[in-house]
Amino acid sequence: MATDTDSGYIDSFGQVSRTTGTVFRYLLLAATMFGIVTLAVLLVYVANDAIRPLTADLGWHLTFFLTLVVPTTVVGGYLARRNVPALKLGGMVVGMLAVFLMFSGGVAIVFVDIIPPLTGLSYVVGLLVPAALVVVLTKYEQQIPFTLRVAATGAAFILSLVGVPGYFHSIPEIVRQLPVVPADWMILTLVLGGVAAVVVGQYVARIRENTTAGLAAGASALLLTGLAAVVGPTLGVDANAAAVVTSVAFVPTLAYAGGAAVTREQERIGLLLAAAVVVGSLVGAFAVDALGFAGPQSWVDWQFLTSAHSGTAENAGLYPAIGGSILLMATVAALSFPLGVGAAVYLEEYAPDNAFSRFIDVNISNLAGVPSVVYGLLGLGVFVTYLGQPTGTVLIGGATLALLILPIVIISSREAIRAVPGDMRQASYGMGATRWQTVKNVVLPEAFPGILTGTILALGRAIGETAPLIMIGAPNVLFNLPTELTSKVSAMPLQVYAWSSLFASEDFYTKAVPAGVVVLLAVLLAMNSIAIVLRNKFESEN
Amino acid sequence: MTRNSDSVLSRRKFLIASGAAGLAGLAGCTENNTDGEGGSGGDSEGTDSSGDGSNELSGTIDIAGSSTVFPLATAMGERFQTEHSEVNINLQSTGSGGGFANYFCTGQTDFNNASRPIKGEEETQCEDNDVTPVELKVATDALTVIVNNDNDFLGEGLTVEQLQTIFSAESTPTTWSDVNSEWPDEEIEIYGPTDASGTYDYFIEAIIGEEGPGHRQDYSATEQDRTIIQGVQGSEYAIGYMGFAYYSESTDAVQAVPIENDAGEFVEPSLDTALSGEYNPLSRPLFTYPARESLAEDHVAEFARYWMENSTSREIVADEVGYVPLGEDEQQEMLDTLNAAIEEAN
Repeated sequence: MATDTDSGYIDSFGQVSRTTGTVFRYLLLAATMFGIVTLAVLLVYVANDAIRPLTADLGWHLTFFLTLVVPTTVVGGYLARRNVPALKLGGMVVGMLAVFLMFSGGVAIVFVDIIPPLTGLSYVVGLLVPAALVVVLTKYEQQIPFTLRVAATGAAFILSLVGVPGYFHSIPEIVRQLPVVPADWMILTLVLGGVAAVVVGQYVARIRENTTAGLAAGASALLLTGLAAVVGPTLGVDANAAAVVTSVAFVPTLAYAGGAAVTREQERIGLLLAAAVVVGSLVGAFAVDALGFAGPQSWVDWQFLTSAHSGTAENAGLYPAIGGSILLMATVAALSFPLGVGAAVYLEEYAPDNAFSRFIDVNISNLAGVPSVVYGLLGLGVFVTYLGQPTGTVLIGGATLALLILPIVIISSREAIRAVPGDMRQASYGMGATRWQTVKNVVLPEAFPGILTGTILALGRAIGETAPLIMIGAPNVLFNLPTELTSKVSAMPLQVYAWSSLFASEDFYTKAVPAGVVVLLAVLLAMNSIAIVLRNKFESEN
Repeated sequence: MTRNSDSVLSRRKFLIASGAAGLAGLAGCTENNTDGEGGSGGDSEGTDSSGDGSNELSGTIDIAGSSTVFPLATAMGERFQTEHSEVNINLQSTGSGGGFANYFCTGQTDFNNASRPIKGEEETQCEDNDVTPVELKVATDALTVIVNNDNDFLGEGLTVEQLQTIFSAESTPTTWSDVNSEWPDEEIEIYGPTDASGTYDYFIEAIIGEEGPGHRQDYSATEQDRTIIQGVQGSEYAIGYMGFAYYSESTDAVQAVPIENDAGEFVEPSLDTALSGEYNPLSRPLFTYPARESLAEDHVAEFARYWMENSTSREIVADEVGYVPLGEDEQQEMLDTLNAAIEEAN
């Protein structure tokens, strides 16, 4: 062949140059890397500005290098050679701990500072009572006509949550007026620890295929949370914080690690990696403290995360904006998830294939590409000007952002529903199931992970949006957490924008802005990592 | 858990016993419900004023308006908020005119900051919505004309006539040599606030004249003062203007142009020259307008008083923000106006 360059004897054959192909290949590589490298350089630059690793003592770096980096690299290297699935398990546990720790911070903001624990408990009770009634009603599904059941369910929830003014107090009100109430940490233990216990219990029961083991795991999860809240104060940790962090971060991670250790014998050695990271960090932290080495003078510190805006960059913080972003996300999720999934199910499962539905199809795709500032204007026009709502509140901001991501949620949910094999639907019909039963029992459960992934990614877009919030008149600076749907709200990207534009001093530009960017990106990466893990997990199961 | 293989009953007994023990333990940890109705104090529903002065102030204060007054309002808000943690203060920078038209006169905000007095048409709009603005002077600003650090051809400074030539809609010179033949034949890049801004309005009043041809429109307009600084910093032949506070944060990035005053001297803007009156005609008063209706609420009235009481503070107004504080007489006058308005409101 032509590549046979040694055969110089045959003149007529000539040679085919590989140069063009090689150049083309490396051009493509350059195109691939260009964006990633540029962004990486920028991020490293910003992170360096925000965290300032070079301001730490050499001893600090050395200590953590010895206690954390070396053991982790050794264990990781060993696992990478011998047992890659185990390495993945270890990485998963470490990542889970990191992400859940971050989320526990968010949960603490919501369930301690925004909603006082007692109020939270009152609503939990107010929801549980009618929910119990619904469970009873479902048992007699066959005897009671559909309309009556719906009416009874609706009435139960409304009676419980709203009451009858003048005659009958709502359950949340009754709970709040009890003369004796549990301490805050107990409420948190009961509510958050209870949720964690149920989740953990079900998980353990499933992987061990043993109800008793599940019960035991759930009970110990609850006990552990309570124990943390009791022991925490003696170690200088606030009881409320201890309860939240334990129930949201430690209990699920422990359960996952424990479950893996018991059921996945081949891979459990990977937990060594997680142990190396956790123990290494703790030992390093103690050693640094004992030896008196100063850490980096990072701008992303506890003070930054827990205080409000200030006139001086050193004292400025992101706290109200973090709380605002969380509340906005909750509102956006509550609005866009049911609407988006509902629309997707209709369009995929019910809509006839006619000109009208094709028209809607095209429009939804187009709406997904409409610039966010247009949605901001829409929000301003519809909610503020037309409906006369006050500007810049959690509700308005959430509704505007929900409109913004609704097309994305619909499109990704439709993809997920379309990916459910037609055979499964046919099989369900073949068994005599109705269309509603098929959607409920076959399509939605099968498509759910995909729907969830798409929604989380869409929420990731919403959390970074600034333009719609500016349009609806969200304040540039506020000092308190929003506590209600009608409170004014700021968000992380908006706060960063305000710092970079309204406070012209160099101080804000080099201290507060990079720190804000790092926090925003960390939250975004955590959300996206959850979406990716969910997707991979369910892809590998199918 | 104990596990007896023979009986389910004993396990149930164990569960009941441990549950009861747990409940008894938990009961020991309860506390008396002190806050009765409505959860804890974090609830911010109480925007209305209860006449009871001994109560901790709580409620929401919404402030919009001038980007020039914004840093001052933020500094006051931050201090007030540390003393009254239950008061939520929300600040927005919209420009004086934007704030009046879209927020204040429609009843959305309690205060509107302004870097010029309220206009007649704005008062009419407010009146139509039953909002009564109360004019309070909060500081004096030296409106500052800035050029690039490399700019050395301006020499002593600019006269009011030259400023007028550069910025008026009539002459619209495209190069510096159009203004003064000795200056380089380079294009002028102009940065300034938008027409929603009080700085813009004041510049017209002081330089171009209310009756004049108006402000030229072919310039880079922005409500973000930082953008003006960045624009001027980036181009040797750029010019722009803004409030003194933003300039004082960035004295290294750009230079302020001395302006010829009515005595014929070229004076650089500074706190001293603005206070002494040497820096004219570009020194100007800054205002905030509380709505009299909002002053009926205790927390709003208290914040307005707090602001006026600290309006003479050199530490806050001059050192932190960069404006000229009020004199004692002016402060007394403003406090009297405010107290009269509060009285009327209640």
